[in-house]
Amino acid sequence: MKLMLLGTASGVGKTTLVALFCRGLSKKGLKVIPFKGSNLSLNSYVTASGEEIGMGQAFQAWAAGIEPTVGMNPILMKPSGKGVIQVILNGHPLADISPGCHPDTSLLLDEVCRAYDNAHYNSDIVICEGSGSPVELNLMGRDVANMLLVKKRNIPVVIIGDIERGGVFAAIYGTWRLIPEKDRHFLKGFIINRFRGDPSILKSGIDMIETLTGMKYIGTVPYMDLKFPEEDSMPMGSGKLKGEDAVSAFIANLDELSSGIEDSIDYDTFRRIASEDP
Amino acid sequence: MRCITNKVREEIARGNIGSDLSCPYHPSHYRGQNCSFCYCPFYPCNDTDLGALKTTRKGDREVWDCSSCLFIHRNDVVEYVFKRIRELGITEPDDPRFEDIFRESKERFFKKGKAIMVLGATSDAGKSIIVTAICRLLNERGYSVTPFKSQNMSLNSRATRTGEEISMIQDLQCKAAGIRSPSYHVNPILLKPKGDCVSQVIAEGVPYGDYDVKGYYSDFVPNKGADIVRRNIDFLKNRYDFVVMEGAGSPAEINIYDMDIANMRAAEMADADCILVINMEWGGSFAYALGTVELLKEKDRKRIKGIIFNNLYGKTGGLKEGTNRIEKMLGIPVLGIVPHLDIKLPKEDSECFRDKDSVGTGKKVVSVIRLPRIANFTDLDPLLLEDVTIRYVRRPEDLQGSDAIIIPGTKNTLSDLNWMKTVGLDKAVISYKGKIPIVGICGGYQIMGKRLLDPNGIEDADFPDSDGLGLLDIETTWSEYSKRTIQQHGKFILTGEDVTGYELHMGKSVSGERPLFHIESFVEGDFDEGASRPDEKIFGTYLHGIFEKPAFRRYFMSMLSDENDPKPRECTDYDEDVNLNIDKLAKGFEKAIDMDLFERLFMGGKK
Repeated sequence: MKLMLLGTASGVGKTTLVALFCRGLSKKGLKVIPFKGSNLSLNSYVTASGEEIGMGQAFQAWAAGIEPTVGMNPILMKPSGKGVIQVILNGHPLADISPGCHPDTSLLLDEVCRAYDNAHYNSDIVICEGSGSPVELNLMGRDVANMLLVKKRNIPVVIIGDIERGGVFAAIYGTWRLIPEKDRHFLKGFIINRFRGDPSILKSGIDMIETLTGMKYIGTVPYMDLKFPEEDSMPMGSGKLKGEDAVSAFIANLDELSSGIEDSIDYDTFRRIASEDP
Repeated sequence: MRCITNKVREEIARGNIGSDLSCPYHPSHYRGQNCSFCYCPFYPCNDTDLGALKTTRKGDREVWDCSSCLFIHRNDVVEYVFKRIRELGITEPDDPRFEDIFRESKERFFKKGKAIMVLGATSDAGKSIIVTAICRLLNERGYSVTPFKSQNMSLNSRATRTGEEISMIQDLQCKAAGIRSPSYHVNPILLKPKGDCVSQVIAEGVPYGDYDVKGYYSDFVPNKGADIVRRNIDFLKNRYDFVVMEGAGSPAEINIYDMDIANMRAAEMADADCILVINMEWGGSFAYALGTVELLKEKDRKRIKGIIFNNLYGKTGGLKEGTNRIEKMLGIPVLGIVPHLDIKLPKEDSECFRDKDSVGTGKKVVSVIRLPRIANFTDLDPLLLEDVTIRYVRRPEDLQGSDAIIIPGTKNTLSDLNWMKTVGLDKAVISYKGKIPIVGICGGYQIMGKRLLDPNGIEDADFPDSDGLGLLDIETTWSEYSKRTIQQHGKFILTGEDVTGYELHMGKSVSGERPLFHIESFVEGDFDEGASRPDEKIFGTYLHGIFEKPAFRRYFMSMLSDENDPKPRECTDYDEDVNLNIDKLAKGFEKAIDMDLFERLFMGGKK
């Protein structure tokens, strides 16, 4: 099985949701591997074999009950000031990219696909995390973390919208609309994240999005305060982990939260989407 | 009436004087008004577009009230009236031909103002900042302009001159528009969250009742809300050249579309041309733009005349490619990409300190108790003009290293006092008594007292009788559901300097302390307010806004300085600082926006 979670913007909670799904599905006995093709982050983790990957993928791996490996995040982009970005490829520095320059897209996409194939081969399910919004019109042609990978490897997509800021229906619908028509068949479902209150009030809006787009509604995740390290230079939650054993504190916190969302997510639909080629 | 007649006679003799900058009351209405007819030669015109009959305070008779009419302060009207006075050779104020002049000038010059509405794709899109900028730009071009937000959810509010409550941000926008005394019309519905999805509804400036989300939309909106919005839009359109409206949240919340009176329905009532604003900070802004417009109903979609991409960090770079495509897909022009502007203006609500433990980078640490229902925390913004860091304190250990403690206002004094006791902040604050200054404002002032009594459960039924921190000898009682909302000015007793502020609270306090301020009230006469123990550095007051004027802020800062500190710098007036920042904002906005296009689309081509 395979699935890609794409966000309508940065900071909508993709990283957290991937971690929650890793936890939830591994507890159901599946071998889960988290994956993020390309990650823009200053927070990195060094794997047991000495490679550098994004911190988010390390935590997601622990959530899945496995050790982080470099294949979970083949490309890490580290902003080093003044618009310069250091590119880490497969755990090791490749080059510093000046503002306005871009590394070779097809080379990066090949590396991302190779790592993905490996993760897919070694797992029951790969849960991929996209990066930012997949419809930044000026970036789409070289955006290896989102639709380029989806199309290359035929991965079903679930869109995550953040309702805390408002405008979540517009964000989900607008994202769907800006994906070129020939690629929309990859978009299978959507999730509303960070909701406070009684979700029944959302019903008519959800129905309308299902009708307009044909995507399936998978669930509304309540607002949660997951203690997670900073990722993407965006706030992940109000609390940061302190203390010695951050990992076990994180897992304990995650378990507490994931039991709370079991009922909010339609896992049958989720698994059906992940099992079928789009 | 005799007095008015004499004044008008003088005015006729004096002629067109334009704005009277020498008058201590200038501008009585708005910056740029014509003051030639401080007293109206048409009074009473009995035209209900401009005024209304009102019962006097004594209740014994009805008088014509046109105190908010701006018609006779328009330059074109004044010019025309003087032209006709000369032509007809009128010298006396009671000349019957004034009726003809009134009729003629109304026919020529009276027209309803134009409404421009700023909508956001999300909360925190930058709507209120853009309304502020547009208000300032239009006022600078000589128009009378007012902000308007039908429904605002905020815990930061202000009292108007006549004692109604409106949100802080509309008050600020009025400042940008050059309006002297904001009225409740600019924000006729204010929702103040009380927790558990329940809000207190302030309708036309006065507390109306508590509602949860469902009750608000099923009961308040259809029975009262829609009428209130319509009435106040009409009121403002009859008076101002431009009404710059602000939406709430996103207009495309399709699950509550027909119940929403803050966005497209208000636009329809006002016949407004709309601008959609999208915050670029989080990415996905093209999707937000397209999705928002396309989810609107067709009749509403037509109102969106322009799009602004806001708050861009970094360079415009290749974004033009994206905005061009959005223009083409929607057939709506993009007015511009506004960069992130470094402006210091009060921000709305929890947005400004979500996830934040402190603001500012100054040397002195002022710890503010981060009460769960903290309210009117914009009170503290002026402190950032000084060498201060404001630290939001949630636990006793956060108090370490503080140079002062402030207990701010709260939407629920009793429950927040109980929270302080639960986390141990009550004892922690008391342990600093006499060592560093401790200041309580409004709810914080009540908390600092000895006892708080709420026998009828008006503030919170769970706490009928609470012990306060006992730092001050005051006792507060909530005996009836009534709220005191009033603007005040007076003297800071210890130095004799001017202070201004406003009271917004339920509950009354009896004090055995020396007062802090001497209030000189227009309505209530002189009285003493607050509590002051300079030896122990303990102070409490009901007045919000006490740090805005330099008087109390300077005194407060002097208590924080060590002997070996350099002499504290001169305190500036916060109002002036706000004004400078509004100018800076308006200039930044003007630079980023295609103003020719803006004028063509939203001002009917007027320059």
